[in-house]
Order: sequence, then C-alpha cells, then structure tokens
Amino acid sequence: MAGMAEMKDSMRTALLVTVRTLVAAACVALVVIERSTVGWGHLGVMLLALAGLLLLLASYNRRFR
Amino acid sequence: MTTLSTPPHDSAERTARSAPSPRGSRRGARSPVRRRRGDLRFVLACLLPALVLFAVFMVYPTMNVFRMSLYTWSGFSPDMKFVGLDNFRHLMDDDQFVRAFQNTVALLVVVTVVTMGMGLFLAAIMTRQKLRGRNLLRFVLYIPNILSVVVIAAIFSAVYDQKNGLLNGALRLLSLDGWQQVWLGNQKIVLYSVAIAMVWQSLGYYMVLYMSSMAGIPEELYEAASLDGASVTRQFFSITLPLIWQNLRTSLTFFIMSAVNLSFVLVRAMTGGGPDSSSEVLLSYMYKQAYTNSSYGYGMAIGVVIFAFSFLVSLLVSRATRREPLQF
Repeated sequence: MAGMAEMKDSMRTALLVTVRTLVAAACVALVVIERSTVGWGHLGVMLLALAGLLLLLASYNRRFR
Repeated sequence: MTTLSTPPHDSAERTARSAPSPRGSRRGARSPVRRRRGDLRFVLACLLPALVLFAVFMVYPTMNVFRMSLYTWSGFSPDMKFVGLDNFRHLMDDDQFVRAFQNTVALLVVVTVVTMGMGLFLAAIMTRQKLRGRNLLRFVLYIPNILSVVVIAAIFSAVYDQKNGLLNGALRLLSLDGWQQVWLGNQKIVLYSVAIAMVWQSLGYYMVLYMSSMAGIPEELYEAASLDGASVTRQFFSITLPLIWQNLRTSLTFFIMSAVNLSFVLVRAMTGGGPDSSSEVLLSYMYKQAYTNSSYGYGMAIGVVIFAFSFLVSLLVSRATRREPLQF
C-alpha cells in the first residue's frame, strides 16, 4: 500500500517536472518565434511568454516559502 | 568569536559601590533619551556623505530623465518646449522602437535562461565531479569576464567574419559550406550572434559565483542522501539548489539589470544596431535618438520605458524567488 502511494507520488513529481520543462521551453520558443515579426501584438505575446516564465519560477518556489 | 562571561561577585559589588547615585549623576551620566539622540545624530552624520552622493548622482539624474521626457529639445539649443506626453504618444507609432523592445526582451529571455542554466550545470559538475583539469577549465571559462566588452566584441567580430572568420573557416574545413552564414549581416540571426557573445562573456563569472556557494555545502548532506539512494539529479534539486537559492536569487535579479546594459555595449561595438536596425536594442535606440538624432526628449521617453521595464522585471523576479533562507 505504502509502495503504491510512493510510486504514485514519484509519478506525480515526474509529470510535474515534465510539464514545467515543456512550458518553459514553449515560453522561450514563443519569444524567439514572435521576435521575427515587428508589431505591438507580437511584443505583447513576447511579454506574456516572459510573464509565463516568471509564473513558472514562482510556482516552483511556492512550496519552499 | 564572542564569549560572554559574568564578572565575579566581588568585582560586581565594587562596581556598584563605585557607581555614582542617580541623584548625584546629573553632570556625569547622560539619560538614555539624550544618548539615543546623540547616537542618531552620529549615524546621520556618517550617512550624510553617501546620501548626498546618492541624491546628486542617482536621484537627481533619474528625476531629470522623467522631466526631460515631457519636453522636445535638440540637446544643444537653449529652447526647450513642453509637450506633455507627446513623446510617449510617438513611441506608440514607432516601429523601430517596437523592434528594439522585442530584441531587448528576446535577449533578456534567451541570454538569462542559457547563462543561468549553463552556469548552474557547469558549477555543479565542477564541484561534485572530480574532473581532470577542472582548474584549467574554470580559468578558461572565467577569462572572458576580465576582458573589456569592446575586446570581446572585436574577438567575436573576427570569429564571425564572413571570409576569414573562425566560424565559417571551421565549417569550410568540415565541408559544411552550406551552413556558412553572414553571421553579423543576416537580419534573422544577427541578434543571436550577439547573444552568443553575451553568454560567453558572463558564463564564467556566474559559474564561479555558484561554485563558491556550492563549495560551502557540507559533504555529509550528500553522503547521507546517497546512502538513502538519491540520484545525482535528485541531490542537485533537493540539496544543492535550495542551499544556494539566496545566491541564485540575487544573481538572477542582478543579471537581468546587467543584461540590458551589456546588450547595449555589445550591439554598439559589434553591429551598431544593424543591418537595417535588426539588432537594435532599447538602450542603443535611446542613445541614437538622444545623441545622434538630436531628439533628446524623445530619447528620454525611451529611457523612462527602459527604467520602468527593468524595474518591473527585477521586482517580479525578486518576488517570484523570495523564500526563507535555509541554514546549515
């Protein structure tokens, strides 16, 4: 029973790490892609991606507060 | 180290006997309120030179930037015209400004992520793994930090040279002629060529900074973790990262501010903002407007945007990374 719970917990952690890594990569990719076209809308998307990275950092840090 | 000890009884009695009575001590002893006031005056006197310098060289110029952003001024003539928020209204229609802003954000994100990631990774490897020649590697990686940014720009201009550059030469040698590029002339890749130079310049410094933090972590923690079966990655995320977090947090905030400044110097020295303004960053565009285009007020409006952006990002990073310091 305890082994199952431990496995479930480690699976959850692995999933969380994967999702966070993917979101971070997507935010960086978004910044690089949107930079190629000039415009306020594209700049807005870049700033949103930057905000996404900061939110990700805050969510990682939340459990240590 | 400070040691506290209680005085022997007889000496305490002697002190009590020799101490003047409260009534007869008006002239000799000072009341706590007066002493505190005197201390406060002394502290203020000590702080005053620093406060004056801070006000003259930081507060006044910053306020002046805000004030000048409301005027049109060529920078030379005595005529200054108050235009209110007109300079900011022009910014909204300026495509060059938007492009410079986009380039600044792109550099900030890409360079910060790569430098911090690689710095942490290399520091962890050099501290935890017994690599042969790691002192030499550390020395080699730290060298760019002691070089002037202009020298770095000259080195990278030589590396990126279209005909005789190291990069295109190496590609030719490897029969990868199709991969050859005009690294500083292609609008699509010029910004990333500058980004590589930025990473190269700052990587060693942050690596050494993190190494010094990691060196202070007790070895027993890692031994206990490995006895419990924790992998190297787990040890990094559960021991190393939490214990160097305060250092990481400070350096991240610091790096964001310095990346904005460093990008200006490298862009000025390597590309001058070109080709066709494709590598222009906010600071270089501000410089161009204020000192080359004789639109000082407009340049200061860009300066206000840079100030607000840097301040906001640093504040958000500081908030996002705040946590209780761990003691070990």
